[in-house]
Amino acid sequence: MKVIILIFVILSGGLLIYGTMDMPAWGDPNSPANTYVSPLYIEEAYSKTETPNIVSAVLADYRGYDTMGETTVIFTAALICALLLRKNSDDDEA
Amino acid sequence: MLDFIIAKYNFWIYVVLMMIGLFAMLAKRNLVKKLIGMNIFQTAIILYYVSIGVKKGKVHVPILVGAHGHGEHLFKAADYLNPLPHVLMLTAIVVSIATTGVALAVLILIYRRYNTLNEDEIIELRQAEQEAEV
Amino acid sequence: MIWQLDFLLCVLVLICAIAAINIKDLLSAVIILGAFSFFMCLLWAEMGAVDVAFTEAAVATSVSTILFVGAIIKTTRRSKD
Repeated sequence: MKVIILIFVILSGGLLIYGTMDMPAWGDPNSPANTYVSPLYIEEAYSKTETPNIVSAVLADYRGYDTMGETTVIFTAALICALLLRKNSDDDEA
Repeated sequence: MLDFIIAKYNFWIYVVLMMIGLFAMLAKRNLVKKLIGMNIFQTAIILYYVSIGVKKGKVHVPILVGAHGHGEHLFKAADYLNPLPHVLMLTAIVVSIATTGVALAVLILIYRRYNTLNEDEIIELRQAEQEAEV
Repeated sequence: MIWQLDFLLCVLVLICAIAAINIKDLLSAVIILGAFSFFMCLLWAEMGAVDVAFTEAAVATSVSTILFVGAIIKTTRRSKD
């Protein structure tokens, strides 16, 4: 069983490495990810949000609703943990 | 050829890391080991996405230099790292912690009921339970 | 961006990952996972992703290790693989 899993893992790893052949070089300043939308954020973040830290500006200002949804995820996880791990006295005999 | 390896070896290390996590998730029989593998897998994916935003050369971290103070500022995009992957992966890190917390809660419940964390023993105990019910 | 430091940290991360999944004692495995997270945090700081690095150091490393250790105290340390 372990041998089959090892072969599967090596095969999928080889597939992913084959996929990196078409990637732009590591740290290329002119790759699509670095030239498509992020220059806009860097150039306009300070004049629009008055925050020098661009990461905070995008996280809390441009994507404020996204961060609120993330808070909902944390709340749900905490709620589930509390519900699962409470001491339930009424079904001890089950 | 050497240029090609220098340009890509970081991605290969990330793929190897990801496959270590996948192997632990599939092959290990202990449930905590599976969770550790899942953590490694998630971290490798986050590492890959953060590394997309890297620019080689003389660039600043994404905090604007000389922004405090009044007057006209002109920020050049080529002087700063790409901040967008950092923002998205910040969210991913926090969500991965939430996932780990819920998984560990479920794991404690499994241990309370079956008194073991080994997957094979849990499956055997479950089959014995179902046969006893029938 | 210093590529020697980058490569060294990548190798250390790989060693920590392999050690974490191969150690039989679960508590040791979890502590090595914490070390793995700290090396990852150093790697991100070295890449220039400072916000991700300190979020990882503050949230992922500490909280994740605390949750794992708590779960292992509640259950068992022994593992067969």
